[in-house]
Amino acid sequence: MATIREKGYSHWDGKLTERRFPWWPITRTGILLAFRKKRFKFVFAGSFVPAVVFLVGLYISERLEDFKAFLQGSDRLLNIDPNYFKTYFTNDSLLFLIVLVLGFAAAGLIADDLKHNSLQLYFSRPLRKKDYLLGKMSVIFFFVLILTAVPGLVLLIFKLIFVGSFKFFLDYPWLPLSILGYSALLTVFFAFYVLFLSSLSKNTRYVTILVFMIYIFSDILFGILSGIFHEPAMALFSIKANLQQAGAFLFGQKLPFAVPAGWSFLILAGICVLSAAVLNRKIRSVEVIK
Amino acid sequence: MTAVIAATHLSKWYGNVLGLNDVTLEIEAGITGLLGPNGAGKSTFMKLITGQMKPNIGTVTVRGRKVWNNPMIFAGIGFCPEHDVFYEDVTGWEFVTGLLRFYGYSGSDIKERAARALDIVELTKDKDRLIRGYSRGMRQRVKFAQAIAHDPEIIVLDEPLSGLDPLGKRKLIKLIKAFRDEGRTVLVSSHVLPEIEALTSRIVLVHQGKILAQGDIPYIRELIEAHPHMISVRSSDPRALAARFVGDRSIQKMSFAPDGRTLVVETHKRDDFFGRLTGAVLEGGIEVEEISSPDDNLQAVFEYLVGK
Repeated sequence: MATIREKGYSHWDGKLTERRFPWWPITRTGILLAFRKKRFKFVFAGSFVPAVVFLVGLYISERLEDFKAFLQGSDRLLNIDPNYFKTYFTNDSLLFLIVLVLGFAAAGLIADDLKHNSLQLYFSRPLRKKDYLLGKMSVIFFFVLILTAVPGLVLLIFKLIFVGSFKFFLDYPWLPLSILGYSALLTVFFAFYVLFLSSLSKNTRYVTILVFMIYIFSDILFGILSGIFHEPAMALFSIKANLQQAGAFLFGQKLPFAVPAGWSFLILAGICVLSAAVLNRKIRSVEVIK
Repeated sequence: MTAVIAATHLSKWYGNVLGLNDVTLEIEAGITGLLGPNGAGKSTFMKLITGQMKPNIGTVTVRGRKVWNNPMIFAGIGFCPEHDVFYEDVTGWEFVTGLLRFYGYSGSDIKERAARALDIVELTKDKDRLIRGYSRGMRQRVKFAQAIAHDPEIIVLDEPLSGLDPLGKRKLIKLIKAFRDEGRTVLVSSHVLPEIEALTSRIVLVHQGKILAQGDIPYIRELIEAHPHMISVRSSDPRALAARFVGDRSIQKMSFAPDGRTLVVETHKRDDFFGRLTGAVLEGGIEVEEISSPDDNLQAVFEYLVGK
């Protein structure tokens, strides 16, 4: 005999409560998937080399007498002041390593979702578009902050430990803010930059190449144009130069290019706004039939 | 009875392509089959219900609440998309638990729910394998598992049976019917008629973005007044039987099937015909072996409706 069914009966009795951090599962998955790539683990470990070198430099600077024989007059480089921190944050190798880490860990953040049609699954759950994007951005926040703010603050703490007093901190009380401010700038910029490129293709390799190519090509373009025009404003064409310019400004150091730092901030903000606009258009839950 | 899902004058288009055109529909608890050829608008309708797209015109409500931009509603909806939606490098377990995290369950609750869902779809022993190594049927089942893991009231299944072997189909059909028996609302789409027929008699026929008809199959068949009902009567003496109906004005057409034993009648008044057939059998002593309605199935109904 067929089951007699009460059609009006509603089984589900859960509560419609909003999750506090709905973006967290996306961030968690993004970080876990990045570490699942074998090559990435090596790249990630290698990206701490500048931090280790600067930490060693900091240690040596406090023991100059012990290392005098090795330094051979280059001890002037080990003058620990805000410029030392600026050098760590804006040196070519750190910026390139950040791009390298993001090329491996973040290029597929949206591209993979587009490839696998995963957006339908995300958006059929209690998740808004802004939560989705925040979740993806937080993956980039994690990787960039771990290479910038964390080593920067560790260097500062070790400086205080090696000196054994708070004098350095009292001399430069704004330095922690510079470290955090510039780290935040790098984080936000790279988050928009990489996610924008990741939303342009379903192919992660293609996105990885784009992340590198645009970063490097913008610098090459700067080199070519400044060679032709001998004009420092050409630095504005380079992502790296703009980041270095902004870094020098935030650490209160001499600007590397004779262009107002505000222009670099404007260029970086413009890239972020453009990326946000593209992301807003590109992130739809379903494929659009044309 | 209050509709669980209600669409009012719903339209959605993609550029110049019309996905859905002025659809007004109410879906109640139980299984409702959404039937139509590829490109008919079934998936568009499902994506509008699951809040993945904003309708250009009209509204969709679930239990009286608007769907668009109201993600909390989806705590009570499970969606199983048509196409594969996997990161291939995760295991079935990671896939289901990862998606359960969006509902804010505790760690132990997530494990318990994932284990239960994977057990229901019989993937417990394969849960730690990478999805990359799953067969088509296993992929379909793990997709189904993520749709039911959070114990939703409404389950939306887009072509859930495609790619499954007959045994897999039978198991999934049984499972879907079990959800119906628990009082849940299940919306299933398919372009394969027997699949829908196996699941439910309550169907919605969709074609070119419009709803052609809705109701149970005999009801929809009644709607098609332009087409007479076809009735086959296998008998020991079909010609004698035909002779009794020649003068009947309600009969549109009579013919004999190639087997020579079956009389095929087309009439607008099916019930009248059955009454007279009973009389003919009793009075004429004609033995009837089988009576069937070849066009009283979904295939015929659908072909009539789309004008094929």
